[in-house]
Amino acid sequence: MTAAIEVTGLTKRFGKMLAVDDVSIRVEENQITGLLGRNGAGKTTLMQLITGQQFATSGLISVFGESPVENARVLRDVCFIKESQKYPEDFAPKHVFATAPLFFPRWDAELAEQLIDDFRLPLHRRIKKLSRGQLSSIGVIVGLASRAPLTLFDEPYLGLDAVARQVFYDRLLRDYAEHPRTVILSTHLIDEVSDLLEHVLLIDDGRIVMDETAENVRGSASAVAGPRSSVDAFVAGRRVLHRDDIGGLSSVTIPGLGYDDRLAATAAGLEIVPVSLQQLVIRTTSIRAEELETSA
Amino acid sequence: MTTTAIDRPADTGGRVIAVTRLHFANAVNTFVVPWAILGAIFLMNLGIWAIIIGVAATESDRADARAGLSWSGSTGFIFIWMMVLAIQAVTLTFPFALGYSVTRRHFALGTGLALGILALLYGAGLTLLSYIEDWTGGWGLGGRMFTAVYFDDGGLGSRLLSFTGIILFFMATGAAFSAIYMRWRAWGLGAAFVLLTLATGLMITGFTVTSSWPAVGEWLVDAGQTGVVAWSLIPTALCAVLGYLVLSRATP
Repeated sequence: MTAAIEVTGLTKRFGKMLAVDDVSIRVEENQITGLLGRNGAGKTTLMQLITGQQFATSGLISVFGESPVENARVLRDVCFIKESQKYPEDFAPKHVFATAPLFFPRWDAELAEQLIDDFRLPLHRRIKKLSRGQLSSIGVIVGLASRAPLTLFDEPYLGLDAVARQVFYDRLLRDYAEHPRTVILSTHLIDEVSDLLEHVLLIDDGRIVMDETAENVRGSASAVAGPRSSVDAFVAGRRVLHRDDIGGLSSVTIPGLGYDDRLAATAAGLEIVPVSLQQLVIRTTSIRAEELETSA
Repeated sequence: MTTTAIDRPADTGGRVIAVTRLHFANAVNTFVVPWAILGAIFLMNLGIWAIIIGVAATESDRADARAGLSWSGSTGFIFIWMMVLAIQAVTLTFPFALGYSVTRRHFALGTGLALGILALLYGAGLTLLSYIEDWTGGWGLGGRMFTAVYFDDGGLGSRLLSFTGIILFFMATGAAFSAIYMRWRAWGLGAAFVLLTLATGLMITGFTVTSSWPAVGEWLVDAGQTGVVAWSLIPTALCAVLGYLVLSRATP
């Protein structure tokens, strides 16, 4: 496998604030990677560094084998759609779609038109007067139709309703199947995209706390549920990630279970429930927060 | 495992031209609105000139009126408008273009080209109008809008230089201050204005202490309108270079 992005020891400070803290990651080519994390965790800054929009304080970034900073050879193959994208004064969506092909050599006008229909985007209305969802759909359309070998979406769906978000996921998957490319998707709606993701990067407080294939992440923890006494007996001596007690019943999230564990649990009359990606992310980030508090 | 190193052309020329075309993608603010405003001001002026010449009873009154009409600030808004266009090019189109994966260097070059073309087009338009004003004897009424006293009424070259040079000066200062804002935000802009005020204050103090105001006045008269504009190309070029250098490390 080849890497689209390789980042080594990347740090970005804004004054005293450490936005990205010694991050080292590899993003394989032609995969959809989810960049997950809480607000202010450093997702946007990391993507801005990868696309050369911010300058690193220290560390190395390589995109398609070269530094992306002020490097047109790399950047013309990169499309970064961010939630806070600014547009020129008095631009309407039609101006965006007329100029985008000048910058993205693989622009597919037909796909763009189809997406404009799908999202029912008014082409002639000034961008300033568009709703939040319509504004987001401009970014989504540019991101998909540009067919850039490296496409980054930073919270691309803000204000989009459930139907429009589904259109985005469907179009992304379909177009990705026909034209494989490297996609990084940063999002809060983890469960909505979890089926899309092949790789998961979790960033918390500027640090990467999870860098796994989506498959591994899903298998990395399970919840065992049943009568409290049976559950307690089963999890004794194991690392408990999370615990819910309701009456005499308990549900406990523990790290990955092997085949024998599963047999034992079933024999003890316990139910094994898969844990959603979102739950895992919440557990991982909250445990880190607790660890930080106790160590402080 | 290796990283891919595909042979990718940088296509500098193509990217720079693309940025230039981006600035002209929407003609409303660059051409339609300014010419519409200019047209409206012109029509209002025509009305006013007609009234003034109409009420002037004697030939000497009319001569007085014509002398008065040589003072006009009707075209002044164009220069401010061009400055605003340059400011928006940096504060809005710059972050937009970076979103299109344009490098700062290509953005600065393409923007410089776009503003240069715009200045030339407007300079040429105003020059043409100044000649029409001459040929029609002030639109038949002795009115003066494009040959007002502070514009050069010399030959083609000096008129073109005069209009284009003033526009370029306004654009370059607007772009330079906007670049400072984009790189260091409000504090940077504030510091730049403090420095500019200090420098101006020092210059004024210097001229006063050395009693060289008469010399300054003489120099201005000697240089003439076109001469002053020609000299302004130096601060214009400095602002352009400063803007380029500052923008090359700015973030959206």
